[in-house]
Amino acid sequence: MESAISTGLIGLSLGSQYAMIAIGFTLIFGIMGVINFMHGGGYVIGGYLAFAVSSGMGLPFPIAVIGAAIGTALIGYLIETFFVDKYVDDHNATMLITLGIYLVVTTVIIIIFGPEPVSGFSFPISGVLRWGGLYFSYSNIVVLVICTTTIVAVYSLIYRTRYGIALRAMADNRAIATAQGIRPGRMFPVAFSLAMALAGLTGALVTPILVLEPHLGEGQLLKAFIMVILGGLGSVAGATIAAFAVGAVEAYSSVYLGGSKGALVLFIIVLVILLVRPSGLLGREARKA
Amino acid sequence: MRPRRYRDLIVDIWGILVIGPFLIVPLADWGPLWRSLTHQILIGMTASFGVYIMMRMRLLSFTVPAFMALGGYSAAILAKAGFTNLLVLMAVSFVVPTLAAVPLGFLVLRLKGVYFIFFTFILNEVFQVALFEIPGPTGGSDGIAGVPPATLFNADLGSPRMLVLVTILTALVAAGITFATTHRYRAEFSSIDENEPLAESLGVAVWWYRTIGFLTSAGVSGLAGFALVHQLTAAHPSSFASFSAIDYVAYTIVGGAGTLLGPVVGAILLVTMSNLFSGQGLYAAALFGILLTGAVMVAPRGVIGELRYLVERMQARPRGEEATRATQREAGHESA
Repeated sequence: MESAISTGLIGLSLGSQYAMIAIGFTLIFGIMGVINFMHGGGYVIGGYLAFAVSSGMGLPFPIAVIGAAIGTALIGYLIETFFVDKYVDDHNATMLITLGIYLVVTTVIIIIFGPEPVSGFSFPISGVLRWGGLYFSYSNIVVLVICTTTIVAVYSLIYRTRYGIALRAMADNRAIATAQGIRPGRMFPVAFSLAMALAGLTGALVTPILVLEPHLGEGQLLKAFIMVILGGLGSVAGATIAAFAVGAVEAYSSVYLGGSKGALVLFIIVLVILLVRPSGLLGREARKA
Repeated sequence: MRPRRYRDLIVDIWGILVIGPFLIVPLADWGPLWRSLTHQILIGMTASFGVYIMMRMRLLSFTVPAFMALGGYSAAILAKAGFTNLLVLMAVSFVVPTLAAVPLGFLVLRLKGVYFIFFTFILNEVFQVALFEIPGPTGGSDGIAGVPPATLFNADLGSPRMLVLVTILTALVAAGITFATTHRYRAEFSSIDENEPLAESLGVAVWWYRTIGFLTSAGVSGLAGFALVHQLTAAHPSSFASFSAIDYVAYTIVGGAGTLLGPVVGAILLVTMSNLFSGQGLYAAALFGILLTGAVMVAPRGVIGELRYLVERMQARPRGEEATRATQREAGHESA
């Protein structure tokens, strides 16, 4: 029983990480209609920026994490402004452009840091919290707290501020929102950089616990696909629910079935849910691709 | 001016004819570098026909590697069992993915837009994991090694030249099937592409034509899988990695998704460039990324789409000038 609860806590921590990735991905898609193949790259950039700041410059880990999030946001802003903005209405074009940028970014990372997983980059807090038969690592607790706080902050931004209302208006109907005076040219880069910052922050927090290597982005992108498809495209709430569900399934299936079989179980669940609800849990009519 | 349908037909026929010159590689016995390049181009081209068929109905499908795996593995299992006739292997590698696409189509074709894209992407991953996890005839993570080469009329097709010839033949067959399908259902595919709800309201059985496209796309992808397995003489899950779907999509979009010539040109261009870049080792992926981004930004309609647009504009200009002069002449007569 204790083992099941401990696994559930790990699932919760995983879910919070995945929620950060999924919210960013679904924000970009919901608001701009862009399938961002660079999103997994944001996770990798965040990890490497945090590594460079903490290990390379010797600054404290919290500063490295904040720096990584800001750095990734800045990169996202530049990508949107110079590459994506002009083609924002063309799904295929933006998909390939962001994919091309991902390939360039991965190569730049390999050139600077090498193709091997980095060593000497670990989470500053170690140890395990023991409570009866329950085990939960301190690093996972910190990640869970930071991710949950960030998710709440993002929700507040989206649902409680004028900027969030404007973002949601853009997502609902861009033409009407623009007619009301909301300027896509100002909203899109900020939304893109916000989403990339979420990915970067997650990468900075999680890679010291797991592993940091240049090709992590592809796996993260696949997870983002699964979560947004499960939750319903463009639905922040759906993506969050799906992320926690995926985290739980992954944790339990990894412990009780083994890694690859766990992935297979996850895919089967996705298939079944899509059979029942082709637009995901909280989805709406899909945009044209 | 000739009707659009006729012009499309000519461009699509060029898409098949362009494959012909590759025959010089086995016939003139060009070296291993050329053979390798020919294999890569033609297998990539054949796979991208699978993407092209679906894009004719505005569906961006990432299922190609999964169907390639089905076709490739089916042929490999059959060849290992002693059935090495080329025609049989090609038929099986087409039919098995097509049959598998029937239930999958029921599942996948209910999805629309971006859900379809994501779902087909995930489907590849399912196939990958399943191939690794499920032992038995597919060999699990070891795959199937030592696949015997195909034979035709008792002739062994295992020499390097013959392997290339089989790849060319497979590409030609795939191009022919793609050409036949997209022209037979041209009007229906175009109506779905332009306005699906309108097409449906006018009585076009959208689900039926989507299914036809999906099944053909699966079969053509299976042929690409067969060509790959035949060239490598092995079937391994890593040969059908889900991210390779992006390459095939890139060939189609960069070349131009409007005509059969598009994926042909896209595959030739991108595979050749990535081979040139591979000499740069570490920088190869970045150079490919720059090429991809640049190509989409400079030519959003794809190479062939942009060329056709330019030609049509050039042809339209003289006619426009002629019409203006005629109007001016008529106006002159009236005032006189």
